[in-house]
Amino acid sequence: MLKVKNISKQFIPALPLSARLINLHRKNSPVTALKDISFSLEKGSILGILGPNGAGKTTLLKIISTIILADKGTVRVDNYSPGRDDEKIKSITGLMSNEERSFYWRLTGRQNLEFFAAMHGLDKRNAESRLKEYFTKFKITYQDKRFDSYSSGMKRIFSLIKTILHDPRLVLLDEPTKSLDYNTSLKLRNFIRELSAAGKAVLLATHNIQEAEELCDSFLIIYQGKTRAIGALDELRKGMNNSSATLTDIYLKLTQNA
Amino acid sequence: MLRKITAQIKKDFLIETSYKFAFLFNIFSVLASILTYFFIDKLFGHKVTEHLEEFGVSYFSYVLLSMAFFSYIGVGLGSFSSRIRGEQLQGTLESLLLTPTKISILLAGMALWNLIIATFDILIYLVLGIFIFKINFSNINILSTTIILILTMASFSCLGIISASFILIFKRGNPVGWIINTIEGLLGGVYFPVTVMPGFLQTAARFFPITYAIRAIELAVYRGYSLPELKSELIFLCLFCLVLTPLSGYTFKYALKKARRQGSLLQY
Repeated sequence: MLKVKNISKQFIPALPLSARLINLHRKNSPVTALKDISFSLEKGSILGILGPNGAGKTTLLKIISTIILADKGTVRVDNYSPGRDDEKIKSITGLMSNEERSFYWRLTGRQNLEFFAAMHGLDKRNAESRLKEYFTKFKITYQDKRFDSYSSGMKRIFSLIKTILHDPRLVLLDEPTKSLDYNTSLKLRNFIRELSAAGKAVLLATHNIQEAEELCDSFLIIYQGKTRAIGALDELRKGMNNSSATLTDIYLKLTQNA
Repeated sequence: MLRKITAQIKKDFLIETSYKFAFLFNIFSVLASILTYFFIDKLFGHKVTEHLEEFGVSYFSYVLLSMAFFSYIGVGLGSFSSRIRGEQLQGTLESLLLTPTKISILLAGMALWNLIIATFDILIYLVLGIFIFKINFSNINILSTTIILILTMASFSCLGIISASFILIFKRGNPVGWIINTIEGLLGGVYFPVTVMPGFLQTAARFFPITYAIRAIELAVYRGYSLPELKSELIFLCLFCLVLTPLSGYTFKYALKKARRQGSLLQY
């Protein structure tokens, strides 16, 4: 389903205009966001991407979803490549970003989802039936209120619905339960499990180790853009020569002592 | 394709109508600008009569049409960059770019709502012009006017797309938009006929498509000029379209790729 091979990405932070005017040739030194990241993901499985802030998790998801182009390496989503088959990838991929600003706040939740359904090429009847299904599933009664009146939890649920509205085969989730209360977080976690059970490949970037351990089949731990470990929990334990290590132990060891 | 464009127009309509007084304020702002020039005409209009002989109208009639037309041009020019900037600021550009929608359709959808609003503005100008200020549009040559509108919108949309390319990369600071809005407004004959200016400025004005567009529209609407009579203006507008269409496509693709490489597509 998803094959990522030797992906690398560097960013050059922009200089302030004053610095550029003083020296036209001056450039900031590049910052490595990702270096030689490789992994693959089969349908029906969930891979957790773990790493501290700035590890490169979001950059990786954005490269897979075609928003950012990698400097090096290849990405294949069902044999489609970013840069060449962007539209095909977008039609089979859903990215749930970790920001709440991806909706039109002056529209209602329903109007937002109807708009994005149309932009994904869903016809009106199909879109309506899917929305009805999700509103029932998440017990949503506030879909006709303006989006700017929603709580963080409501916005996250709408964000998840937007991500899966077009029935993508690959679901990329960037901290889906960030700043959510326990009940909403549980609702979302259960739904992520259902996505996997329905055969979707799920890539879950999170800071929440407990959540990752609960949901994911395997893990990719990245630190400063580099792979520190990859595999199922047992494989990670073997790599650490500690058969009783928890995911938290492994994560801390790999990201604190790196 | 049609469903995606319609969805964008519907979304813009819903957002626009959520601002209750915007529509009313728009009518008042058009009326206020018309009145300003109405009184300027009363004060100084007689001084430019000789420059307007060619068009056969008063200063007020001339400026009302050119301003209405310039607001249309402004849409072609400004809507792409302002909409992209707006989506960047709102944070919705990422959501849009994650849908399997061709960039050309996204851009068309973004510009169409502004075009509808500008058409409405033109109607306000014309209704006020006809019913309040008694301006005579009876000589209008519909075919010439339509062709001029299409060619002008096409060439200015291309400039607008080039302008949007700057926004994609630099986020702020849009030299193309600035040049056209400021310099073209000054030199292109929008607020006064080009012949009012000294010789060297008249020469400079010849390098801007708006000069040809304004002259052509004034002659087509007030003098009823046919297409052959507007040949030279139309040739220039066609040339601008021929050069700017591929250039704008190339520029935008380049800017988009550069922004994706820099990872700055969603920064603002």
